[in-house]
Amino acid sequence: MFSLLLQKELKNIITSPKFTATFLVCSLLILISVFIGINEYENAVAQYQANQEIARQNIAEATSWGRVRNLLHREPNPVQIFVSGVHFDVGRLSNISDYNDVKLVRSPYSDETLFAIFRVIDFAFIVQIVLSLFAILFTYDAINGEREQGTLKLAFANSISRAKYLIAKFSGIWLGLIVPLLIPILLGMLMLIAFKVPLASTDWLSIISLVGLSVLYISLFIVIGILVSAITRSSSLSFLLLLVIWISGVLIVPRLGVMAAGQIVQVESVAQIEAKQEAFQKARWDDYSAELTEVWQEREAQMEGMSDEERTAYRDEMEWTWLEEDDASRKQVQSDIITNNRRLLEESQNRKKLQEQLAFNIARISPVASFQLAAMKLAGTDVGLKNRYETSMRLYKDDFSEYIQQKEAEEGGHGGFNISIDSEQGVQIDFGRNDQTLDTSEMPQYQSPELRLQDTVGAALFDFGFLGVCIVLGFGGSVLAFMRYDLR
Amino acid sequence: MQNSTIQAAPLLEAVELTKVYEDGVKALNNLNLVVREGEIYAMLGGNGAGKTTTINAFLDFIQPTSGKALINGIDANALPLEAKKHVAFVSENVQLYPNFTAMQNLDFFVRLGGKSHYERLDYERALHRVGLQSEAFDRKLKDFSKGMRQKCGIAIAILKDAPAILLDEPTSGLDPKAGKEFTRLVAELRDEGKAILMSTHDIFRAKEIADYVGILNNGELVAEKTKAELEGVNLEELYVEYMAGYMDEAPVSGSLSNNLS
Ligand SMILES: Nc1ncnc2c1ncn2[C@@H]1O[C@H](COP(=O)(O)OP(=O)(O)OP(=O)(O)O)[C@@H](O)[C@H]1O
Ligand SMILES: [Mg+2]
Repeated sequence: MFSLLLQKELKNIITSPKFTATFLVCSLLILISVFIGINEYENAVAQYQANQEIARQNIAEATSWGRVRNLLHREPNPVQIFVSGVHFDVGRLSNISDYNDVKLVRSPYSDETLFAIFRVIDFAFIVQIVLSLFAILFTYDAINGEREQGTLKLAFANSISRAKYLIAKFSGIWLGLIVPLLIPILLGMLMLIAFKVPLASTDWLSIISLVGLSVLYISLFIVIGILVSAITRSSSLSFLLLLVIWISGVLIVPRLGVMAAGQIVQVESVAQIEAKQEAFQKARWDDYSAELTEVWQEREAQMEGMSDEERTAYRDEMEWTWLEEDDASRKQVQSDIITNNRRLLEESQNRKKLQEQLAFNIARISPVASFQLAAMKLAGTDVGLKNRYETSMRLYKDDFSEYIQQKEAEEGGHGGFNISIDSEQGVQIDFGRNDQTLDTSEMPQYQSPELRLQDTVGAALFDFGFLGVCIVLGFGGSVLAFMRYDLR
Repeated sequence: MQNSTIQAAPLLEAVELTKVYEDGVKALNNLNLVVREGEIYAMLGGNGAGKTTTINAFLDFIQPTSGKALINGIDANALPLEAKKHVAFVSENVQLYPNFTAMQNLDFFVRLGGKSHYERLDYERALHRVGLQSEAFDRKLKDFSKGMRQKCGIAIAILKDAPAILLDEPTSGLDPKAGKEFTRLVAELRDEGKAILMSTHDIFRAKEIADYVGILNNGELVAEKTKAELEGVNLEELYVEYMAGYMDEAPVSGSLSNNLS
């Protein structure tokens, strides 16, 4: 009996006129999205490589250690083919030098603003928007349509349990929609192989998890469709209701969640933090110069009552100590500033994390947000992407600066340049060692932050569970509703 | 019923069946009726008299407010899965899956009825029997007329081969020829031993084939006549008389209300 009902459901979907058209459109969209994704990824890789070359050349051309700069580039991740996430919004490059802090700039969208208008179509978008609609289209009349058709009465003139009927209906619709959709998804994966996209085993795991997540997400919409069709009498009403649910779930609630979190937890803007940092810096240097004046006055006081010769001798004697003292306090100022900068940054990052958590949790009122968040986590294009890179770049910057300072110390030079004005030769700028190239073989190499399984699949587990719970609740609700459904 | 003590157990039986809908409409009031093996019971009554409500009670589509609907002695509302094994049903407006062919629809619903041993030939025979043209067998239902769908519905009921059959205005939508054929078919089924409860507005056909005719008005069975009692009686006049009597709230005279035990 169960398999009979299931077969009928399958046949009913596959022979329905809307199926072929919608299935073809969805398949085409999925394939196109993967194709575009691969293209975008290849572009990103090309840019990444070109940039590495530029950075290498810059270093090779540097003539003094003080002038060595590094330029770091965010490394494209092949899973972004499926979920572009924030990839197009986060900057790609950051300069690594003593003069400015690490900051990713020049996002793909800021370079090519046109594409920012409607954003790209990626697999996650298709699942989130198109396939959820697809699921609704095939379920909005699952129960009430059969009632309107009169087939519900005819079926239940026989000895069939309602629970069995509903489970068979769900299974049939599920198979009828999911299995055909797996075809273009598998083809998309084959495309990855055909285009030789370098995928590590963890990437494959992420992709497979993403497919699983999509299946869960579509299942949820199937369940919602069945639930609504089981609590309404007419299919036009259920369609309307589902449309409202879809619009608020997909388009409104996630955005509102993020906006509400933004109102509840205020986070200072980057500009505000930079202003604070600068204010501290200025105040600290002002303090320093006041301190210095005091120190000199003190030193003068020590020399009070000395004769000129004594003074000169004392000065000569103390010169080195004083120089070291001054240098130490200057270094103290610099380190204070750096500490303060990082503290401010950390504070704001913590607040940001709080804000993000709140935003995500409010947005999760709609399971759509759950899908999006988990998908981005799986692809490593989540909201943490920027922070991950900037943190690892900052760590690199410390190593890099240490290395450069050490090299400068080894060379004995200050690493700066000398400007000498000569009556015969005019102004001469001496960069130090301008004749030899630098040996940068031991320069620390930047490693992109590694995405561990616990950052991708592990981090997405919560949302997997959440979607699962929603499905179970929705299905339980539909069974309850159908148990008391008026079949006439 | 009234002349023999050795009778088959009733296959369809309404016992003080009462249904009051949520909005307060009393659709059935203490309805008692019995249909045995090899009998046709025709329910007559105006629109809204409670005919469909009666049939729905047997199919557990509605929960009676009080009383029972029994199929083969099984309470249809207490044990619907058990009870419905013994009954086939044709609704007043048969609608099947529009994307399936007549054959596919037949196959699905007949199997759902628990009969999975049939072959295509059996389906063809049944469809021929109800008068569907052969060329329509493999056409999709969405191109069928109301009468053609009705015929498919009847074929499904025949193939389910249940001892009791519920027919809710089965001839609605059938052309006169098909209506006549259908009447003959119902008589054949009765002769095969089925217990048939049908609602109809067709007084003449009811008189022609029914073993019992019940007249429902406002949910009450106002009259029940056997075939013998109707011999030589103008059923139409009788019917109008009962309806009028009830509408005027006139007491039903003893001679007319022939309640059976
Ligand atoms: N779901 C419902 N809720 C409230 N009242 C109902 C419902 N279904 C039927 N009724 C009422 O019950 C009464 C009996 O209806 P029923 O459908 O049984 O009549 P019927 O004899 O089959 O009429 P017809 O010849 O028009 O088919 C009517 O007054 C109808 O309005
Ligand atoms: Mg009716």
